[in-house]
Amino acid sequence: MAGHVGSRRGRRGGLITAALAAVVTGIVLIAFAILHQESAPAPQVAGRIDTGRTLDSGAAARAAKVIGAARPTRIRIPAAGVDTAVNAIGLNPDGSLAVPQPGPHLNEAAWFRNSPTPGQQGPAIIEGHVDSVEGESVFFRLGAVRPGNRIRVWRADGSILEFTVNAVRDYPKATFPTSVVYGGDLSAPQLRLITCSDFNETTHHHEGNEVVFSHLTRVVRPGTHAVRDDGR
Amino acid sequence: MHKALRVLVPLAAAATPLALMSSATAAGTSYQTTLNPLNHASGTGMATISLQGNTANIHVSWSGLAATFNGSPYPHVQHIHVGGQGQCPTTSADKNGDGVISTTEGGPAYGGIGTTLSEHGDTSPAAGTNIKIAPSSGSTDYQRTINVSSKVAAAIRDGSAVVVVHGLDPSTLSKKAQNEKSDLVKSLPLAATSPALCGVLTAMPTGGVATGTGSTAGVENQGLLEAGGALVLVGGLALYGVRRRRTTIGV
Repeated sequence: MAGHVGSRRGRRGGLITAALAAVVTGIVLIAFAILHQESAPAPQVAGRIDTGRTLDSGAAARAAKVIGAARPTRIRIPAAGVDTAVNAIGLNPDGSLAVPQPGPHLNEAAWFRNSPTPGQQGPAIIEGHVDSVEGESVFFRLGAVRPGNRIRVWRADGSILEFTVNAVRDYPKATFPTSVVYGGDLSAPQLRLITCSDFNETTHHHEGNEVVFSHLTRVVRPGTHAVRDDGR
Repeated sequence: MHKALRVLVPLAAAATPLALMSSATAAGTSYQTTLNPLNHASGTGMATISLQGNTANIHVSWSGLAATFNGSPYPHVQHIHVGGQGQCPTTSADKNGDGVISTTEGGPAYGGIGTTLSEHGDTSPAAGTNIKIAPSSGSTDYQRTINVSSKVAAAIRDGSAVVVVHGLDPSTLSKKAQNEKSDLVKSLPLAATSPALCGVLTAMPTGGVATGTGSTAGVENQGLLEAGGALVLVGGLALYGVRRRRTTIGV
């Protein structure tokens, strides 16, 4: 009799333990899922876009000497954890900037082929997805970039260039300032990075574009760029 | 007022905002080009044009070209060329084999002069070789608002307009080419008028950039959340059941 009661109590104890364990495990899983709910960092608007005047004299201007054309092949942005290949991209039939399509290059950066190559005069444009159908993409953490951060670009001529961020902006796509982003100061080598920002939970669309403005501050390794006569 | 007119006036008034809107969207568009070297020149540059009707706000910036000519600042005539194939010439355009693509040899690719990008005064094709009003230096950052011809405006819009900067460093030319006269102005050497930088104007990208799908903006780890919830539910129910049975036994 006593043994029977004891085994019943033991069985009940086991059930309680199992139930408690299930509840605790469940809570841990939920907590883990919530803590790892990762959103792209929101861009912090800072810095000045136009650095022309301050670069006109001094060491910065000498270091930022214009160099010839050579396509970018790789970009590294330590502040955003980016280290990726760079492919060339053009315009969509509707005149907008094309973006990397599903395939092997979806989550790599893309250089706009009608813009200068990094190191030439004017703003070179490199874009990347913040996220894709596959989840986080190459510029997921671009929002973490701040003025003063460094960007390195490798080019097809073997040169390595270092750009320094001077400004971060967040523009509504509806009023995207085309001539500010693709034009502006043409006298010095610039590099501008573009990705998506400002996700709207209601419309389920990114309604903004983050633009990182940087300028050439150092030629880490000179290239062997030959002058090319084909204009590209 | 005529009866038909009385109907038409409010209709016209209603249509006005529509007309204004469409003209606002079509009003100004921006174009850009990267200026790359021709004829072994060492320069690089960029040009942008903001076009409203026939009014062109032009910005041309380049560096690395020959800085002096006979001891004086080197004049670099620069133009918007139109009426050609809308391309920059390749070395195959050098028909006489002197190693230099002359302005004439480059003609089929980029066409004739449409607008002269002079620093002041005449901007017509007639000023095309007027070195007195051309930028004179190894580098320039040029901005000018010019009323271009309808032909030039149309060429900019359809992608066949080409920005060309002329003037080569004579020492980079072959001996033969160094002794040649300009194909345009017989009193000048070939180097002075031959193209040094070239770029085809294309429209800047319009609107924002579609670099996101929002896949990481919603709920992630949905499976984990569901599993966690199920475990809490099952465990909770089991505990509730055990408690009820114990209560029954207690009574």
